[in-house]
Amino acid sequence: MKENNIRNFSIIAHIDHGKSTLADRLIEYTGTLSKREMEAQILDSMDLERERGITIKAQAVRSMYKARNGEEYMLNFIDTPGHVDFTYEVSRALAACEGALLVIDATQGIEAQTLANVFLALDNDLEIIPVINKVDLPSADPEHVKKEIEDVIGIDASEAVLTSAKTGLGIEDVLEAIVAKVPPPQGDINEPLKALVFDSKFDAYKGVMLYVRVYEGKIKRGMRIKMMATEAVYEVTEVGVFKPNLTNVDVLEPGQVGFFAAAIKNVQDARVGDTVTEADRPTPEPLAGYRKATPMVFCGLYPVDNSDYDNLRDALEKLQLNDAALVFEPETSVALGFGFRCGFLGLLHMDVIKERLEREYNLALITTAPNVIYQVFLTNGEMEMVDNPSNFPDPSNIAHVEEPFVNATVIVPKDYVGAVMELSQEKRGEYSNMTYLDETRVMIHYSLPLSEIIYDYFDRLKSATRGYASLDYELAGYKESKLVKVDILLNGDPVDALSAIAHRDKAQYRGRQLVEKLRGLIPRQMFEIPIQAAIGNKVIARETVRAMRKDVLAKCYGGDISRKRKLLEKQKEGKKRMKQVGSVELPQEAFMAILKMD
Amino acid sequence: MEKFYKGVYIHTPFCLQKCLYCDFPSYANYGAEVQHSYIDALCKELANVNKLEQTFFAESGLTNPLTIAENATIYFGGGTPTILDIAAITKVVEVLKANNIWQNPAEATIEANPGTVDLDKLKKLRELGFDRISFGVQSLQDNELKALGRIHTAAEALEAIKLAKQAGFERINADLMYGIIGQTKESFAKTLKAILEENLEHLSVYGLIVEEGTPFYDMLERDALALPEENETLEMYELTQRLLPEYGYNRYEISNYAKPGGESRHNLVYWRYLPYLAFGAGACSFNGAARKTNSLDVTEYITSPLETAILEKLSLDIQKEEYIFMGLRAAEGIDLLDAKKRYNLDVEKEYKEELEDFLKEEYLVIKHGRMALTEKGMRFGNQIFEKFIKI
Repeated sequence: MKENNIRNFSIIAHIDHGKSTLADRLIEYTGTLSKREMEAQILDSMDLERERGITIKAQAVRSMYKARNGEEYMLNFIDTPGHVDFTYEVSRALAACEGALLVIDATQGIEAQTLANVFLALDNDLEIIPVINKVDLPSADPEHVKKEIEDVIGIDASEAVLTSAKTGLGIEDVLEAIVAKVPPPQGDINEPLKALVFDSKFDAYKGVMLYVRVYEGKIKRGMRIKMMATEAVYEVTEVGVFKPNLTNVDVLEPGQVGFFAAAIKNVQDARVGDTVTEADRPTPEPLAGYRKATPMVFCGLYPVDNSDYDNLRDALEKLQLNDAALVFEPETSVALGFGFRCGFLGLLHMDVIKERLEREYNLALITTAPNVIYQVFLTNGEMEMVDNPSNFPDPSNIAHVEEPFVNATVIVPKDYVGAVMELSQEKRGEYSNMTYLDETRVMIHYSLPLSEIIYDYFDRLKSATRGYASLDYELAGYKESKLVKVDILLNGDPVDALSAIAHRDKAQYRGRQLVEKLRGLIPRQMFEIPIQAAIGNKVIARETVRAMRKDVLAKCYGGDISRKRKLLEKQKEGKKRMKQVGSVELPQEAFMAILKMD
Repeated sequence: MEKFYKGVYIHTPFCLQKCLYCDFPSYANYGAEVQHSYIDALCKELANVNKLEQTFFAESGLTNPLTIAENATIYFGGGTPTILDIAAITKVVEVLKANNIWQNPAEATIEANPGTVDLDKLKKLRELGFDRISFGVQSLQDNELKALGRIHTAAEALEAIKLAKQAGFERINADLMYGIIGQTKESFAKTLKAILEENLEHLSVYGLIVEEGTPFYDMLERDALALPEENETLEMYELTQRLLPEYGYNRYEISNYAKPGGESRHNLVYWRYLPYLAFGAGACSFNGAARKTNSLDVTEYITSPLETAILEKLSLDIQKEEYIFMGLRAAEGIDLLDAKKRYNLDVEKEYKEELEDFLKEEYLVIKHGRMALTEKGMRFGNQIFEKFIKI
């Protein structure tokens, strides 16, 4: 295949604007998979992705398309996640492409997340093809959306392709636009190999599988390659492409996207973003690679059963393989025993990791409430980074505390501007500016503490705007805040895993909310359990879980002991998901209570 | 291994009307014809007792079949056994006797719904050899009986008890319930006092439990079941604990009270985890190593009464656990030496950790070589039994 006939592209879109459905249609149209093999949204291959209707991991597919000009083209499509947490994944995928389809819902218009991803694509010098989707819906207004694209993003939308991924309308036009507009990759097959690792996966038999985009030279079986960052050398054992199932090929050439395996056992030697070259004829300069993902949200992950600690570590290591954004280090909690403090890109990322650990590795876990990293400046002039509230230094040693802020972008119909401002104000936000996208929609910028975003800002925003608001944010450095640590005591003993950091003015309220919430969550036990919230030595709120009064089984007929036994087993099973803290049995939700207020 | 079956249970899966809280295998929609076929099937199962035992012991992995103890207790339960006419009951008893299942029982009980007996029937039951009768009284307040879906009134219940005494039953039990819709601690006290005046030798007092699959459960889900407040229910429970001993009743099991010598010998077989045989649809037998349970489906049972049983082999661990949680239900508790003899189980060693707290907090007591629940422990039976189960 000539380079001229290769097109590498990705799709960027706001969540629910139809990206995955469009991808399915493209795959279907090009006959990459037969009708029978098509499963709705095949690209979201993790169960979790299908259930939640989101894309978490970037994926790649190769299709062959015979264009109207009679020539055959190889289309490499790299799918990208749409959620703000996974911007990092998007930037990786975009770096491997020359073009991007910008999919916008004809009934919704541009959303905050669309903007963020478009700007990422522009940064990567990608050719952008606007695709206005869902034009079959009665409320579709493609002309309006075109105008919005030109006004807000500043690219020409006169040739935007109108589609309905649902009905299949306009699919061929999309393919033609890709062929006509996305530039073919450049690169010389005779040069030394230069390929970018954009993802990786661990296979128990083959070792680490590297997903690559070839820029120069070629990759073949039997070739000796070198990872430029680590200088590790391997022999390629297998080369292939995604159709979207992994399919072996002889060689990957410039402009092509595929994978290779080289019996790489050590995950550290196969870093995403690294450049692969030839061992005997290395390229002088590596590719630009990626900026390192910075975890912003932290929480403790503990096995319910302490003996699962090693399994948890193994599982985290495996997940980290193709998720460089996941960080973890061992920590101990008085209440929860041995576990890990883990860092994530955001809440969804955290949720996804937790669910994958539970499902794919069959672990019962306790998650502590997520928090950000605080910079605590001590009176002795030192600065401590605190990623766990229970490590918050004694107030008498603290000079001041800084917490991360984000620049948040909210796009919302103008009727809800008041609601958004009120909420943002309540969440300690600082107003930056506001622009009208058109007569009805407004883009508002706020500076907000990240901790408020991970607390409940997004949920509240959605309900305050009846679901119309879209939100995007990026980290904007640290600012000083008046923060205190709120401790929770059960039966008089502090439970470190329940500690929280709160703004001084809200600490009392949060403490009260938290103990009330815990009272509802902690099942009654054979004794009374006082729950207190305290700042330092001062108790600011108190509730009591009354003692269970009585718990016996009714009679059984005849000698039906099995039934009795099953009831007891069910009861016991329920408690398996609880954690014994001192004499109190705590359900897992208790540790997340601080997040689920109101 | 035990050599004898110590009790025999006969199940009648019919009722005139299904009570709203009931999740026992019992049906109100079968007519006389089905009931007759059922009796025929039951008699066929009884007549094949020896043949069935040959399969049971072998499939359970035992080396020898068990025999029915000469004094094995007899218990006709349900459902409502007294829904059957006396001819049908007589037929079953005759088959029991003809097959040496009913020999010289330590006790022969029949359960009765007060709405299904008259003097003549009671007399005939007595003549057949039943020496104990157990009435489902539940409450002596008509509004409460109605709320439960019972078919009888309070007056009818008291009348039935009177007739039973007249028919010569000296051993009478009444089942009572607390925590019923519309019940107050005053109305419950009235029920208790009225029943105490009857001077029966046995009382069972149960808290109403809303089981899944019952109309009450659906009502509770819909928030349409106005159960008494927890505190009020608890006061009813406490009243029972206070009042019954004053009238000479011993609490010999979590929910059972008897005058000295009036304990249900049949139920003690279950609590002592001794082998018993059971016949009829849904009936469950136990031989020390396995349980077999007949189909709950009446039609299926009628079609092939010898072939519907499902065998559940019990591992030694399960046996030990069940031995403990059944044994702890009874006030006498577990004989620690017996545990050692039967299962080579040193309870104090095996459950050292669990016992430590329970003994310290006085949920359990070990005395005279026995381990038993205290009064406080009986309140939290489930929480304690659970600790003896491993999953």
